[in-house]
Amino acid sequence: MASTQAGAGIGIANLPNQRHAIASKKGSALTMMIAGKQATPRPLIGESGLGKTTFINTLFTTTIKAPKNHKRRYNKTTEKTVEIEIIRAELEEKQFSVKLSVIDTPGFGDYTNNRDSWMPIIDFIDDQHESYMRQDQQPKRQELSDMRVHCCLYFIRPTGHTLKPLDIEVMKRLGTRVNLIPVIAKADTMTPTDLHKFKKRILEVIAAQNIQCYTFSLESDDEASTKRNMSIMDAMPFSIIGSTDDVQTSDGRTVKGRQYSWGVAEVENEDHCDFKKLRQLLIRTHMLDLIHSTEETHYENYRRAQMETRKIGEPKVKTVTNPKWKEEEEALRKRFTEQVRLEENRFRSWEQQLIAERDRLNKDLEAEHSHIKALEAELESMQVGLSPKRK
Amino acid sequence: MAHRIGRRKNVKKGFQFTLMVVGASGLGRTTFINTLCDADVVPKRECDEPEMAHVEEAIKIKPYTVELDEDGVKISLTVVDTPGFGDMIDNEYCFQEILGYLERQYDDILSEESRIKRNPRFRDNRVHALLYFITPTGHSLREIDIELMKRLSPRINVIPVVGKADTFTPQELADFKKRVMEDIEHHNIPIYNFPYDPEEDDEETIDENSELRSLLPFALIGCEEEIMVNGRKVRGRQYPWGIVEVDNTQHCDFAKLRFALLSSHLQDLKEITHDYLYENYRTEKLSRSAENLSD
Repeated sequence: MASTQAGAGIGIANLPNQRHAIASKKGSALTMMIAGKQATPRPLIGESGLGKTTFINTLFTTTIKAPKNHKRRYNKTTEKTVEIEIIRAELEEKQFSVKLSVIDTPGFGDYTNNRDSWMPIIDFIDDQHESYMRQDQQPKRQELSDMRVHCCLYFIRPTGHTLKPLDIEVMKRLGTRVNLIPVIAKADTMTPTDLHKFKKRILEVIAAQNIQCYTFSLESDDEASTKRNMSIMDAMPFSIIGSTDDVQTSDGRTVKGRQYSWGVAEVENEDHCDFKKLRQLLIRTHMLDLIHSTEETHYENYRRAQMETRKIGEPKVKTVTNPKWKEEEEALRKRFTEQVRLEENRFRSWEQQLIAERDRLNKDLEAEHSHIKALEAELESMQVGLSPKRK
Repeated sequence: MAHRIGRRKNVKKGFQFTLMVVGASGLGRTTFINTLCDADVVPKRECDEPEMAHVEEAIKIKPYTVELDEDGVKISLTVVDTPGFGDMIDNEYCFQEILGYLERQYDDILSEESRIKRNPRFRDNRVHALLYFITPTGHSLREIDIELMKRLSPRINVIPVVGKADTFTPQELADFKKRVMEDIEHHNIPIYNFPYDPEEDDEETIDENSELRSLLPFALIGCEEEIMVNGRKVRGRQYPWGIVEVDNTQHCDFAKLRFALLSSHLQDLKEITHDYLYENYRTEKLSRSAENLSD
């Protein structure tokens, strides 16, 4: 086979450039080149107060989501729902636009009873796969809206001990459906030695409990990439500090960080936290891999599982296990039984009334009857009295 | 004046004080107890096998007794730790366990009081104060926090504290404290807020109490190790960006809380427990049994 000489080739080597040109024109979902594909939804999951919102704003160096409005917290009636919020944004960098969808799950794990509080989240992820699958099965499938979840960041509370049963439950279910990246939130609570021990323990638990986390192949073409990949993998789970404020360090630099009375914790300092590594992973280096693995692995798993039991085009049999719906169902049922009972009572009292009426009328009738009888008897006696006179 | 005379008599005998510490795991409860007593009272939690990590642990109630010496005053401090609180997926059981424990202590006293011949050396195990560790989310109180404080405050003095307060910058801490106190007021949770009488008490007492009240919930940082700072040995945590000192009142409220619990307000907490909370419980219990008898 004739090999093409460098410089005299037919132009195959130009393909990456072409792809680049196409990708640049079409823009992308979430900052990376993926010719033509749509938004990369990525949910942030974890208990409230772990810095999820701050993290997202830090990652994209812009306020994507406004911080929680605390004045309104008394207006909300305690609904036991984990409401899923989808925030869409479009970012642009060097004439490259990106459609970003961030899915936030507030209120997770805050309640006394948190059983099944993860159901809305799991259902949401499955729903996206489902929706894509249905659209794929339609005759016309040019305009696909792809909201499949590409990556899920699970925020772990920095207890310093180990993963909680609630965490394990949720992560197990997430790991089989989506690329799961565990993240240690508010890492500036822990000293470096504590953090190291904590990470080790979490990794042990993840291995022992068979939780599937996102992994990628470390091999790469050049040395530098391989080394970088290895350092990223080593840092899992990533410890992060989030901050959108600019503060002054003791040596005069202005950085994004948190200012304590005893020092400044910097977001972008690799000795302080793994934020930079995580950002590299999510945006600079592995976004393509995240999107592809979602399509090739997770979506295919879902599709295969569904296809084994369903025919093409059949809608999904939905088991309503959402606690909110169950509550509504209960409330409706109660209302209906109440109404039925009221109506029955009404009918019963009406019946009583009618019976009473009838009895009364019967009595009157009887009275009249006896009256008539009396009159007849009188008439008879009078007639009898008359006739002998005539004789 | 009478207060001081009583204290002198007790100084020789020493005081007895029981403190319960409640909070989710990982909030620095165990470390706080050890820091408070300046000794390894509670053993560090042994993390179980990773294979067992998914098993939900029920709450356990563990009392530890320690002899302390505060400026020449002997204090026999009993700390009741509650590991496993809030660790289960459904935590309803935890509340009942703690409430049951508190009420059992009251029951013991009640039955002892009703005896014809009382035991002079009877040990009073009633809990005088409860430190509730609020999770430093940065937002406000969670449902489980509100539920617990509401249910336990009729039986015990509840003092809310914020664990691992080095999560917060000074501004965040002030905001969080404000929001927590607003929540407490909004839900009408009767916590122990260093009560004082503006007419009866003297200036000093009023100032002291209002200062402590303004610090609620107390921001705590716990640390058992000592490190070197500028040549002195301090208890603190070393971060890459600085050192947090436990005993530094600029960094956290630990020192103030310790003083309030073990010196200035120890007597007050005990009195409220005996004169008010225990009396209420006794009334409720006896009227309930009277009702049952009359039925």
